[in-house]
Amino acid sequence: MFLALKEMRRAKVRFGLLTAAIGLLVFLVLFQQSLQNGLLTAFVGGIKNQSAPVLVYSVDGRRNLQGGVIIPELETQVRAVEGIGRIGRFSQSTFTATAGGVQTDAAVIGFESEGLGSPATLTEGRLPQADNEAVANEADADKGFAIGDVVRLDPSGFEITVVGVARDVLINVTPTLYVTYPTYEAAVRSRFAGATTVLPNALAVEPSAGGSPAELVERINAVSDDIDALVRADAADKAPGVSQVRQSFSIIFLLYALVVPFVTGLFFLILTLQKANALTLLRAIGAPAGKLVRALLVQVIAVLVGGLAIGIGLYTPIASQRLGDISLRFETNAVIFWSVLLLGFGTLSSLFSARRVLAIDPVAATTGTGVER
Amino acid sequence: MKLALRELRRQPGRFVTATVILFLIALLLMFLGGLVDGLIDNSTGAVRAQRGDLIVFSSDAKNSFLRSEISAETRAAVEAVDGVERVGGIGIIQLGARVPGNGPRDLADTALFGYEIAPSGVPETPPALGTAYADESLQASGVEEGTEILLGPFRTPITIVGFVEDTNYLGQSSLWASPETWRKVASENRAVSALPDGVFQSLLVVADGSSGDLVTRIDGATDGATESLTLVDAANAIPGVKEQRGTFGQIIGVTVAIAVVVVALFFALLTIERSGLYGVLKAIGAGTGTLFLGVVLQAVVVTVAACVLAGAVSTVLGVVIPEGSVPFEFGPSRFVLSTVLLLFASAIGCAFSLRRVLKIDPARAIGGSL
Repeated sequence: MFLALKEMRRAKVRFGLLTAAIGLLVFLVLFQQSLQNGLLTAFVGGIKNQSAPVLVYSVDGRRNLQGGVIIPELETQVRAVEGIGRIGRFSQSTFTATAGGVQTDAAVIGFESEGLGSPATLTEGRLPQADNEAVANEADADKGFAIGDVVRLDPSGFEITVVGVARDVLINVTPTLYVTYPTYEAAVRSRFAGATTVLPNALAVEPSAGGSPAELVERINAVSDDIDALVRADAADKAPGVSQVRQSFSIIFLLYALVVPFVTGLFFLILTLQKANALTLLRAIGAPAGKLVRALLVQVIAVLVGGLAIGIGLYTPIASQRLGDISLRFETNAVIFWSVLLLGFGTLSSLFSARRVLAIDPVAATTGTGVER
Repeated sequence: MKLALRELRRQPGRFVTATVILFLIALLLMFLGGLVDGLIDNSTGAVRAQRGDLIVFSSDAKNSFLRSEISAETRAAVEAVDGVERVGGIGIIQLGARVPGNGPRDLADTALFGYEIAPSGVPETPPALGTAYADESLQASGVEEGTEILLGPFRTPITIVGFVEDTNYLGQSSLWASPETWRKVASENRAVSALPDGVFQSLLVVADGSSGDLVTRIDGATDGATESLTLVDAANAIPGVKEQRGTFGQIIGVTVAIAVVVVALFFALLTIERSGLYGVLKAIGAGTGTLFLGVVLQAVVVTVAACVLAGAVSTVLGVVIPEGSVPFEFGPSRFVLSTVLLLFASAIGCAFSLRRVLKIDPARAIGGSL
């Protein structure tokens, strides 16, 4: 043990470079984990964190809230389904708006009553009750979406006052305002003056007492092939682009997860080969093979722990930042998962070196010709 | 140099693990690059295909095709600007398309464009009412020439009369039709946002010679009612494009930094292992520069081998990844860029070994320490 740590102190550059490489890899993996989660929240947080257990889209909307409309015939069919406790219209429109004196995009989401599409993660203030009131995304407060701020929709000048903020209720990476349904319709008419009927983009549904959302989804979908009902979690997970983001990041994570053990394994294998003569001598003077392997493992674990510490150290300040419109978070579960995984894989990768150490024949020290590598 | 190459030939096993690690890093770089290229190409194809110089949006649209609205008067003002050769209206509507033979819930994502100036690959004269050219990505949904697809909740029929390449918009397969077809589809399916005759969402401007300060002149002539962008800027203004490029750029940058450290680590270890041999070589007259160049040469060979292997795997990935799953686009330019980045990382990484090569004392060769 003593020799193992002393060797690390003496060869600082070698072990330092390896630790730095692992640290950078750990940082990148954790950063990308936060990026993936932040990206998904920014895209579909407004769906995931709304209050309706079931959302009903038209098939044409392709599970994009703004992308489809529920025509009156479909709405009538859905409202007639048995097992519905409450049902309300749920719509989204994106506007150019002026907030905090700056022109920006703003997604306006209209819901009919609390529990049917209202934001479920209110952190401050209250839900909109009167016309022209809204709940905004908490992280956009510094962009002119704080409580008391007035957001003006362009070019009509339609004004909406923020009366509450909720956590992670962004949609399509756009500052989002949750308003009452009459306010939503008025906002749409302010943009399209000729609009007589504003059809809903979706319906927000709550099952009747004792009914489950999954059962209700089945019943609603059985009514027509033009209806696409989903429970809340599926509405978020099956939104356009979500599975693509997940698949892409999975491949990236897999590659990173392979690089760390390869780098660690290679380093210690080369080191063991370089030290073969010294290790043979140690064996010849009575050092048991187990002790040498333990020394090797101490070095491996020290390097991996050092790398993890560097990686987590770099990640911690970055994890509380914003990347454009994406809010990053410190992902504790990801830190634990990757630390255990990389520690495990990294240690396993040193088995090749351990096998070499165990294979050393102490008699080779007596031949005077060195050890064959 | 010859010695370095000979070592690579005689003892390839010594370099296998480094090649494998560099291969994984190269694969990461190429995959990340292919992913960002795929995402961006899939979003910007329709803009890149435009045969013009500028795209004009209404100033309150924040460069969004869907929210922009250009009146006939504004168009006339743009047409009258000195240096404008031609102006063509553009209209877009994004809708799900029902394809015959597919399941009732299995719709294809489409963006129907009404055009006056044809983009690359599309005939100059727009097709007849109710017909359109489709991006070839729609073929993955079973669409063929002559197929009649039904657009939107009101199922407006559109017959496909041919295919074009690389014209997708925001990940949706584009359809290129006449302005009349676009207006018909929009008024049937999105009556609220349909625009009246003579009004388009945006304009494509063909400049008469150099586009120079045409942007300023057009926006000035419309009294600020418009915001004109070059095609490159218009493509970058598509939601998500700038963010994707920036984020992936940073990740690729850190991955290159990791490659520098890994190469430095590996060749530092090799140099330490060979310091005795280098002592002998120095004692018989080999210069430090020659020895260091040998290390660099080995690093270059290992890197090129890793990149070629990663390039081959990336090419295979590009073929086997199903259309519509991961938007991966891997081409020669991405391969060359990734290889150059890794070669740069290798050269920098090798520089860490230079200090060790410099420090080697030729006297060690006769000191019996080999």
